[in-house]
Parts: sequence; C-alpha cells; structure tokens
Amino acid sequence: MTAPLLEVTDLRTHFLTRAGVAKAVDGVSFSLAPGEILGLVGESGSGKSVTGFSLIGLVDPPGRIVGGSICFAGRDLVGLPPEEMRALRGRRIAMVFQDPQATLNPVLTIGQQMALALQAHAWVSDRAAAERAAAMLTRVGIPEAASRLSNYPHEFSGGMRQRVAIAMALLNGPELIVADEPTTALDVSIQAQILAEMKALARESGTALIWISHDLATVSSLADRVLVMYAGRIVESGPVGEVLRAPRHPYTRGLLDSLPAMAEPGQRLRQIPGTAPSLLALPPGCPFAPRCPRADAACAAPPPPRVESDGRLFLCHHPLEAAA
Amino acid sequence: MTALVEARALTRRFDPRLTIGDRIAAAFGATVETRTVRAVSDVSFAIRKGETLGLVGESGCGKSTLGRMVAGILPPSGGAISVDGQPVMRGGHKTTTRIQTVFQDPFASLNPRRRIGDTISEGPIAHGLVTRAAAPAFVADWLTRVGLDPAVATRFPHQFSGGQRQRVAIARALAMQPEILVCDEPVASLDVSIQAQILNLFLDLRAALGLTCLFISHDLSVVRHVSDRVAIMYLGRIVEIGAAARIYAAPRHPYTQALLDSVPKLRLDAASVAFRPIAGELPSPLSPPEGCAFHPRCPRASDLCRRDRPVLTAQPDGTEVACHHA
Repeated sequence: MTAPLLEVTDLRTHFLTRAGVAKAVDGVSFSLAPGEILGLVGESGSGKSVTGFSLIGLVDPPGRIVGGSICFAGRDLVGLPPEEMRALRGRRIAMVFQDPQATLNPVLTIGQQMALALQAHAWVSDRAAAERAAAMLTRVGIPEAASRLSNYPHEFSGGMRQRVAIAMALLNGPELIVADEPTTALDVSIQAQILAEMKALARESGTALIWISHDLATVSSLADRVLVMYAGRIVESGPVGEVLRAPRHPYTRGLLDSLPAMAEPGQRLRQIPGTAPSLLALPPGCPFAPRCPRADAACAAPPPPRVESDGRLFLCHHPLEAAA
Repeated sequence: MTALVEARALTRRFDPRLTIGDRIAAAFGATVETRTVRAVSDVSFAIRKGETLGLVGESGCGKSTLGRMVAGILPPSGGAISVDGQPVMRGGHKTTTRIQTVFQDPFASLNPRRRIGDTISEGPIAHGLVTRAAAPAFVADWLTRVGLDPAVATRFPHQFSGGQRQRVAIARALAMQPEILVCDEPVASLDVSIQAQILNLFLDLRAALGLTCLFISHDLSVVRHVSDRVAIMYLGRIVEIGAAARIYAAPRHPYTQALLDSVPKLRLDAASVAFRPIAGELPSPLSPPEGCAFHPRCPRASDLCRRDRPVLTAQPDGTEVACHHA
C-alpha cells in the first residue's frame, strides 16, 4: 500500500446564505493513492461538485470550507494562502470542467493559452511551450496538432474542445486531476474516446483522477473505487465492482434500480420515491430516511459509519445484506 | 397492421439567410455561395397504432428536426407526414390536435409568467375540449394523473423542481387528448432517480391512454426500455430501423454496432474494460461525404460505399438496414 496522495478528513463546506446555512459538504472523508481513479457519484445537489471545488480551492463566497482538512502530498490545503494555492493549482492539481466552452478563453488561440498555462508555473520559451502543447494535443488524439495551435476554441467541435481542456490539464504533469462531469455534454461516441484516453493516461503516468459524475455506467467502467454521495455526505464507498454488485446502502441500491439497463424493457422501474431533501433543512438523522424503504425509528438518529474489512464503508442503520 | 402515423420521404433543409451584401451581389448576377444544411433527408417510416418508435442518434443527426416535423411544428421542405391518411400540416400550419409534444427542457417550454393550471387548460379551452367553467376540475384531474397535488395549479413554473415541471409538461400535452405523443429527450435533463419516476409515469400513461409514441433520445438504454421498434439516425438519414429487441441484440449497420459498443455499460464485475470508441468525428452536415455518409468512419467501407449511397433494404427478419455490407 503506497502512501496516499490525497487524504481528505471530515471536510465541511457550507454556504452561508440569507435563507440559512446550506451544508453542501458535511463531513466527507476519503483518501486517494497515486494512479488511482476514484468515481464520485451522486445526483444534483448531493455535494459532489462542491467537494471537487473544495479540493482545488475554488469555493466562492457565500461558500466556505468551515472544517476538516485536505492533505495533499503532506500539506493541508485548507487555509493555504491564495498565492500558494495558485502555485499548486494547474501544476500539481489540475481540473477539467463539464463545459469546455467556459474553460477556454475565446479570444486567445489554443497555442497561446496552452503556453500561458505552462509559463505561469515555470520559465519556458515560447518555442518549447508550443512544442509541448502540440505533443500533448497529439496525445489526447487531436490530429495535426501543431497546425491547430493557431486555431481559436470556436474552430473546434465540442468533443475536440473537451480534449483541448484535458490536454491543458495534463500540460504540467499534475499528480491529481479533478474532472467534474467532463463527458456529460458529449455524445456517446466522443465520450468513449475521452474515457479511453483518460484511463490510459492515469495508467501510464500515475496521475490520480477524481471523476465526478452522475452516470453510474461510466464510473463502473472507469473507476477503481467509488464514493456515493447523498445530501452532502458519503453514504457508501468501496471498490467499484463490489459496491455496484452488492450495495449495502439502500440509496445505492435505489440508484441502480432506477437505471433502465437494470430492468426488463417496458417494465416499470423500481423508482426511489420523493426527491432529495433541501440542504437548508436536513432531517436530524439519516438524510435518506424519508425516501428509504427500510427506515424505522432508529433512523431518526444519525447513522454511524460502518467500516468493513474489505475497504468498504457505509452509513446506515439497516444495511442490505452483504453478498454471499 | 395499420399505420397510424406515416412519414413519406420527409426532408428538411435549412438555408442560411443571405446578408444584405450577398443579396445585392446576387441581384447583380454574382454567384453567391449558399450553404444549405440538409438536416433530414428522405426519411420514411410508419408507426402503428399503440406502438412506440424510438429514435436515436448523436447531436446533429437530425432527430429533433424529424420529431418537430412529425409533431407538425416545423413544415418539411419535402415529403409529408400523415395521421390516418390525413396530412398533419397544410399550408405551413398544423391541422390536427391528435399529435402533441413533450420537450426536453420543461423550463423553456413552460411560460414562466403563467400559472401552471392556466398553461394546462389553455389548449383544451381553445379547442373546445373543456368549458372555462369546468377547467379547474379538468386541471385538477390531470395534475392528479401525473402525480401532482391538484392544489399546485395556482403556482408558477419556477416553484417546481425539474421532475415536477416535466410532469406539468406531460399533463399539458395529454390534456389535449392526443392519440400520438412526440417526446423529444423528455428525461435528458433529469437526475437518475427522477428520470426513473418520469419513465414510469410515461409507461403508466401510455398504457392507460393507449398512446402511440415517437420517443427521441440520445440515451440508448432509455430508448431500449420504452420502445417497441427503434430507428437509428446518422447525418439526417435512418440507417437502421426495426424491432428494438432485434436491433439491440444483433445490430446490422456498422454505425449501430459502433454506437452500441461505445456506450459505457454498467459493469458489475471488477474486470477491466476496454472502451471501443468510433474512429473519427461526425462529419459536418454542410458537406456530407459522398456515398454512404458513414464510410469515412466505417471499418468495412469499400469503394462501393465511397461511390453509392446505400438505401434502406428489408432483411429477412423485418429489420431495414442501409448498408452495402450488412
């Protein structure tokens, strides 16, 4: 077991709004080894994106990290001065967002912005920067990369733009990439290309990857481990195959049963009733209890985390049976 | 075997508007380049009564344009769409209320300044399906049927979540008592658990009302779940159409095969998976390739494919495939 690259302990990111305190991330702990791919799944408002933003120090007011620690390569990122965080971000920790259109600067050529990303962290000549940028674009599957450096973002298709965004994230050889729904806006054929590239990159370069997604199928074929988030907490985690084959938390089971792929065509899906609770008014006990088929009086108290010997963890008073 | 909905050689072109300079130049006899987009080319199909036809394809393949023509919202440039032999559109206007539509984004399709009760009853009142006096009870009935509390009739769209808004959009479409429902990505913007709720509602209402549906989605597993037959579109044309079970089990067209292969499947074993992406990029509809539109990306392409466009041909099992090598 190698030393973890990232160790998040009891992370709490809250949004202090006029309507009250929204506990978007409330006591999240996990660790990540070099080269590991971690899937972070959950529905809208589960806190998965805010967790990602917290890691890279991009939580904007009224949001604030109010507790916990993010230990990256031996240093706590919580409370790090902004200039030190900036030196880290883009160099050792990089990110890829859902919308490459919003990531790329529309008035700079791809070559210019990739050179800026390199030159922000080290002295690199323009010529060397162009060479490295072209090499990276080739690596993510952009044909004739050298000639495309002088193109502007709008001259690329959606899938190509996302590949440019990924190439930019990889430029400085980061140890950790946080990818927030990077393929959600893309068509399946392009998504498959990007998934294949990301997996190969993590395997070849030892870059750790946090893949934030609502799509269980994507995560199941990409990640080594999965974290399932609900209402700001990790309700279940473990090796991806085992969690999805035999979930212990009723929410994970419910998510899987909601997928059309898990049902006979034309049959009703086993839906989860109701909707996710408001983060402003979470029930005192288990946040999933109002929608849970197994809930009883005990669920009015917060469920204790249970850790199993095989590295699995779940937060439930009445977990489902372990697989035989 | 009677077809309720019939599309014959539907075609839709979009001509970009000329700039004033181009128009002046054209008036003086200059040849002005007009880049016509053929969003849908020569598409024919039939939907039987009570059947759901799923329509899948990637962005820009023309599936939404086709859906809008079937729904009578967008006049075709060529061909015709009919219900029971009666044309759906005449002179650029929809002539029937038998077809209604549910769109992807319920936030954009509901008027933000109207109470949802008024939104639901507007069409039925205008078409004499219900009197103004009976409208509140009518709205309450529809809200109940889509799983909403009748008391919400006085609320505005922003007071609903995405899933609830899609329920309202379904109630509005069905309140017109259509026989045919065109659903354009009705669950694409919803969370997994909410998507399951809306799909269940759709299945229940379809059975209760005996609806005939055209269900458009980019999500192959959703389409598989709701469809009796599926049509796969690529660059404005149907490349394969047939029984859903057959196409998903044994796709014949190389594009269908590649598409099904590239979808990440839910893996319940720990085995590592190799993704099998489709090579290349979707060509621009402004300049579609000669011959078979898929040939630049197709592993089986031959000289014939580069020269001649294959037409949809019926196979022994009833599936129709447009491929020289199927």
